[in-house]
Amino acid sequence: MSRHGPNRTPFDELADQIDFEKAGRMLMVGLPIAIVVVGLLTSYYTVGPEGKAVVKRFGSVVDTQGPGLHFKLPFWIDQDHFVATERVHKEEFGFRTIEPGQHTMYDRNRDFGHESLMLTGDLNVIDVQWVVQYRISDPDTFLHRLRNQRETIRVISESVMRRIVGNRLGSDVLTVGRVEIASLAEESMQQILNDYDMGVHITAVELKDVTPPGPVKASYNEVNEARQEREQLINEAERRRNQAIPRSKGNALKIVAQAEGYAAERINLAEGESARFKAIHEEYRGGREVTRRRLYLEMIDKIMPRVGKVYVVEKNQTAPIPLLNLGQESALPLGKTKR
Amino acid sequence: MSASVARWLIPLAVLVVVGLVLIASSAYQLDEAEQAVIIQFGKPIGDAVTDSGLHFKMPFIQQVRRFDKRILAWDGEPEQVPTLGREFISVDTTARWRVVDPLLYLQSMKDESGAQSRLDDIIDSVVRDKISSTELVEIVRSRDWHIEESELDSAGIGEKEKMILQREVKVGREQLERQILITAQQGIREKYGIELEDVRIKRLNYVRSVQVQVFNRMISERQRIAEEFRSKGKGRSDEILGQTDKEVAMIRSEAQRKAEIIRGKGDAEATRIYNEAYSADPEFFAFYRTLESYGQSIGKDTTLLIGTDSDYFRYLRRIEAED
Repeated sequence: MSRHGPNRTPFDELADQIDFEKAGRMLMVGLPIAIVVVGLLTSYYTVGPEGKAVVKRFGSVVDTQGPGLHFKLPFWIDQDHFVATERVHKEEFGFRTIEPGQHTMYDRNRDFGHESLMLTGDLNVIDVQWVVQYRISDPDTFLHRLRNQRETIRVISESVMRRIVGNRLGSDVLTVGRVEIASLAEESMQQILNDYDMGVHITAVELKDVTPPGPVKASYNEVNEARQEREQLINEAERRRNQAIPRSKGNALKIVAQAEGYAAERINLAEGESARFKAIHEEYRGGREVTRRRLYLEMIDKIMPRVGKVYVVEKNQTAPIPLLNLGQESALPLGKTKR
Repeated sequence: MSASVARWLIPLAVLVVVGLVLIASSAYQLDEAEQAVIIQFGKPIGDAVTDSGLHFKMPFIQQVRRFDKRILAWDGEPEQVPTLGREFISVDTTARWRVVDPLLYLQSMKDESGAQSRLDDIIDSVVRDKISSTELVEIVRSRDWHIEESELDSAGIGEKEKMILQREVKVGREQLERQILITAQQGIREKYGIELEDVRIKRLNYVRSVQVQVFNRMISERQRIAEEFRSKGKGRSDEILGQTDKEVAMIRSEAQRKAEIIRGKGDAEATRIYNEAYSADPEFFAFYRTLESYGQSIGKDTTLLIGTDSDYFRYLRRIEAED
């Protein structure tokens, strides 16, 4: 084949160097070996523990396999696509976790208000943050029924949450409605995803922070404070009532007891005095005149020493005669005087 | 040896290469998620291929145009639309659609971005029409909107707002979405070979300037409720204190009433006892009691004027017995 002579081209030089016999032999041996090696390498696949693999032959789904080592047709005739069916996927709305853990870190630099601000049935604005967890229940339909799976789940979740919150009072969403809203959202989302035949199972919808929007928060706190204040005022009044009523009851008992004491005293005194009178009267009947005089003089004895001034007045006489003058100099040379 | 090997090796190699090229240009795989239209010199040939797997076509002169068979997403830009009640709101809608007639789709839309922008036009205008002819409450609330009276009371809502809140919802969010879907769907299958699966309102909010007003309204509403709580507390407190004062007065006067009765009875009993004792000899009683009274009433600062004809001074004048 190789040409000789002066008309040699560089190609002839190259051809001279190729040993066709050797190349042919190498091709005869090397090609089958290469084919076998590639064939072996492309005829098996392993599936990780957290999912399943969908096997497609020329693009058509032929099998779905669980974890382990599996075989398939080589040379990319069969291709395996891994889908993590056991893993729970999580979508966050209104916030983002940067780093989960014991002290979970949240992204505070960005504002996710556009996701979480929504209208309530009483046309107020509320900030609802929530989480949707889901698993891929059917890898085949998950891959082939709908494109943009994750985006669709997010969009449907936002739509459903807004519809449910919009059908309730803001105060209800903030307080007692949380659990019911979450379960309604889960049910409703699952229904819609089933309609798409998406092969996704919603495992949980959880409401996180549900708050009034930022600028309004303070006034909501004010309402809570006012509520506390109301309770405090009522408690204070009750306290004063609880003080006053028993005290006045005690006081009432005291008043009644005092009256009873008075009555008893009066009666006892009356009884005592009348007993004394009766006793004296008994004796008086024995000697009327003597007793009268004695009583009279006893009385004089008793009062005379005490009396300040005694004037003895002569009948028809105007100026009284001082008889005893204990307070000042005596007019009569009687008793102990300074003189 | 070398010459003979070369002699059949080269044609074989050529044959293999030609065969591979022919196969490569005539066979094609269609994925589970795909559908295709075969084009010959720019003209679609035959029906669309919708089954996945290995297919063949004429080499070189026919081309495969692939389209997604799956449900696709459409996501619109937020639109600012006034409602029937003139509140400006921002509406963000989302839709799902599918290529159902690839041939028609290829002819009318060319490719997916063409379809997306066509959907922008169609859905945006339908949403605009529907939103601007519907009251805001009808957009926000659902058909089964129902508020219990007790719920309103506990939320501290005034009478005027109660009426608005208890109004029956005629359309509601779901119905509105359905109406938008039905209207947007009209004719697009026949025209573009696509079908809308659903249209949903993803986000709905006040536009920024309205939002500020709403926030202010919410703040004043809260303040009103707070004030109500405070004055209710004050009122209840006053009521309790007033009631307490009343009860205290009742208890005290009741005690005083009892006390007076008891005192009266005591006085009466004492009087009876005195009467009984003294009525035996009223004259002596007068004498005796008078003396006693002198003993008690005449004290240190008393000045006595005693007539010389009194019994006591009688003996100052004369000492002989009178008789």
